[in-house]
Order: sequence, then structure tokens, then C-alpha cells
Amino acid sequence: MDNQIVDLYLNDPKVKKDWQAFLTSLNITNFAANEVDQIDYTIGIYNGDDLVATGSVAGNVLKYIGVCNKGVTNGSRFNAIVSELVNRQFAQHVYHLFVFTKLKYSESFQHIGFSELAHSDEAAFLETGSPDVNDFLAEIPRVDDQNDKQVAGIVMNANPFTRGHRYLVEQAASQNDLVYVFVVNTDASLFTTTERFQLVQAGTADLDNVIVVDGGDYMVSYATFPAYFLASPDQVVTYQTTLDARIFRNVIAPALNIKTRYVGSEPLSRTTNIYNEVLNRELPPAVQVKVIDRTQTLTSDQQVITATQVRQFIKNGELSSLSDFVPETTAQFIQNHLTPLQKRIQEGMNIDGN
Amino acid sequence: MEIKETAVAGTLESSDIQIMISKAATGIQIDLQSDVEKQFGDQIRKVITTTLNNLDVTAAKVKAVDKGALDCVIKARTIAAVQRASQTTDQPAWEVL
Repeated sequence: MDNQIVDLYLNDPKVKKDWQAFLTSLNITNFAANEVDQIDYTIGIYNGDDLVATGSVAGNVLKYIGVCNKGVTNGSRFNAIVSELVNRQFAQHVYHLFVFTKLKYSESFQHIGFSELAHSDEAAFLETGSPDVNDFLAEIPRVDDQNDKQVAGIVMNANPFTRGHRYLVEQAASQNDLVYVFVVNTDASLFTTTERFQLVQAGTADLDNVIVVDGGDYMVSYATFPAYFLASPDQVVTYQTTLDARIFRNVIAPALNIKTRYVGSEPLSRTTNIYNEVLNRELPPAVQVKVIDRTQTLTSDQQVITATQVRQFIKNGELSSLSDFVPETTAQFIQNHLTPLQKRIQEGMNIDGN
Repeated sequence: MEIKETAVAGTLESSDIQIMISKAATGIQIDLQSDVEKQFGDQIRKVITTTLNNLDVTAAKVKAVDKGALDCVIKARTIAAVQRASQTTDQPAWEVL
């Protein structure tokens, strides 16, 4: 029968081989383990013995969608595949979905109810369902006459919140009427999202003009910027950060009247360093990028403050120099939760990334 | 009927319409995407709104992706989505059909 959708089980080597060969014929060629391993399930349509359409889901992101239109109405198989994926996700109560695709396919997705958040020369990033970006923006607290105020934004993972983060927020707060601190929402770090959020709130509680906000799915999330959480080649990082930066520039910043984005200089992390370069290229002139020199906040023995180092201290249980690196609120939390944190590290949580 | 959770009915295939209903504070808000929006947009909105009124839904956010559905299909999908969203699928609203 036409458009009969079946499940593809990629752990069957023959199925996986056919699937890869089909996608490769459509110019989708990235089958790196860190991409493929995240797939929750894959579906397909066969015409006789030939695979003619496929699509996969990883969390709330649609992936590896490929369709051959030979002999059928243009788009019918595409609609069937995406429709099935969307309905299956909805049935699991995942009502908010994203897709990364080549720019030329953006329109096909827009035809079936996706809306584009950003695109670069080669790629586009779209969402569908609810709550969407407008709902996200509507829930962010605002102040009176915000459009006449000087507003800045900072995005941080804060794993955990250090004196370096504190310095960055202080600088921004002293130079602006209002500062939004967006905390990365993806839960893929040693400190959970709730813990990171609370530590940022506690560490900035004395600064009246700082609002701490959940970064949602739109700022350095697993959806927009997976390479932040997974080791990836430079080219992939650049491509993802470009989209991430454009969402900030085109969607987030105008809605909140953010005119400046503050970032810390990044001598030590390659991924974040590329991210900063891309921000510098993409955000101005709409949004200025201010790089705050990290060496302004050295510890008493001249070390650069990094959260990576703090995580190392936790692993080794060396808490003596902790207060050089983190504010009192974070230090207190670490002291009170040392055992569970160490247990997470023992259970395999990677602490060398971001 | 009160919308308690987000729910969906329908597909994105030709001649169908996908209706997603979620909670809203007040009023009915319809976000319609259709290739025939220009010709039939008002009519599609009207069918959705009338169906919601018949079901006593006063506050809802509706996202509709139309692929050329006829009125009867739009009505059926709307009813199904509302019954799912209001967790009343076990009590079909016959009088509205």
C-alpha cells in the first residue's frame, strides 16, 4: 500500500545499512556516533523492497528526514513522515518540536505548520507546537518603560556559579539599567538545571537590576547548540552557534529591548571561544557584544577562575581554596552537597566539558 | 468544556487538518496555517470557532495546520481535539455532532 509507515529498527545491521545508504543518496552523510546514538526511534516508508522515506526523533528534535518523491505527488511522503513523527511525539505529550534542516527545505516544513526561528546560508532551525517562542517571551518578567531603558543580556550555564560569573554580572549591572541572566536550561551538566538556576539567583540576589531567567529551548540548549554538550568538530560548532546567535539577535533581543550582550573572554574552552567569535560576527550592530576580560578576576594566587576547576575540586574533595573561586552561596551549597555531587561524578558525569 | 491539557487531532496529510488545542486565560485565539488561507481562511476559522462555542469552550489557544480539509473534517478534528484536551473522550458530545 502507498505510504504505509513502518518502524525501522536501526540496531538491525541490515536495516541500518539500507537507511544509511538511502540518506547518503540524498546527501545526508553525518552518521557520527554522537548524532545517531541520540535517536529515540526511526520510521520509514517502503516501496516494494526499497526505502523511499524516513525520519527520526531525538528528544524534541526531528532528525534524519529524507524523502524520495519519484513516482508520487511531491510532498505527500514528506507530509506523511513528518505527520507521523509529530503525532507520535504529541501522543507522548511532547507538544513542542524542533527541526534543523537545510535551508532549501525550510519552506517544506513551514507548509506543515513549522515556523522558522533563524536560518544561516546553509541551515534553518524551525519549531512547531506549543508553547512556542512567543509564549516563552511572554513569560519573561519585564520592568516599566523597558523600551526606554538600557538592557543587557548574559547567557550562562554556570556549572556552578563562580566569582567569574559574578564579576561578569556585576560589570553588566553597573553599566545598564537592567540585566537579564539567562541560565542554560539543558540538564546535561554536573549541577542540575534547578541547582544552577538557584545558585545564579542566590549569587546575584543583592543586585537589584538583575533578572535571572530560564534560557528555555532557545539559548544554548540541546536543541539549538548540541555541540556545547557533545565534543564536536569546529565546523559543527560554528554552524550551530551561528543559528543560536541569530535567534538571540532576531527573536530574543528585540522582544526584550536587549542592546548589549556580555560574554567572558575565553582563554580555556575551545567551544566557548568559537561561540564568542561567532557572537561577535553575528550580533552587531543590532546587539553590541561586550567581552569582559576574565583575567580581571584572578584568585589570590593568580589562577584564572573557571567552573571546570571548581568541578575538579569537587571531584578530589579539595574544598580549601573553594572560596577563592566561588561566592559564599555556591561554596555553601557545595559543602552541603559534596557527597551527592561526587557520586554523580563517579557515576560517569563528564566534568571536563562545559 | 474546560481545556485541561494540550491535545491534538488530525494529520498533516492532504485533505486533513491538524488541530492543536492548549490552555488559555481568556478568549479563543486561532493561529491558522493554510495554503488556501486567502480563499477559505475566514470560513475555516468560523467552523473552528462555532464548533468550540457549541462545545462551551470559552478559553483556548488553537493552532491549526490545514491541508485543504472540508468543513466536516475541520469540525470532526476540532471536536476530537477538544474532547482530548478536556479529558472527556469517554463522554462523546453527541449533541454537537
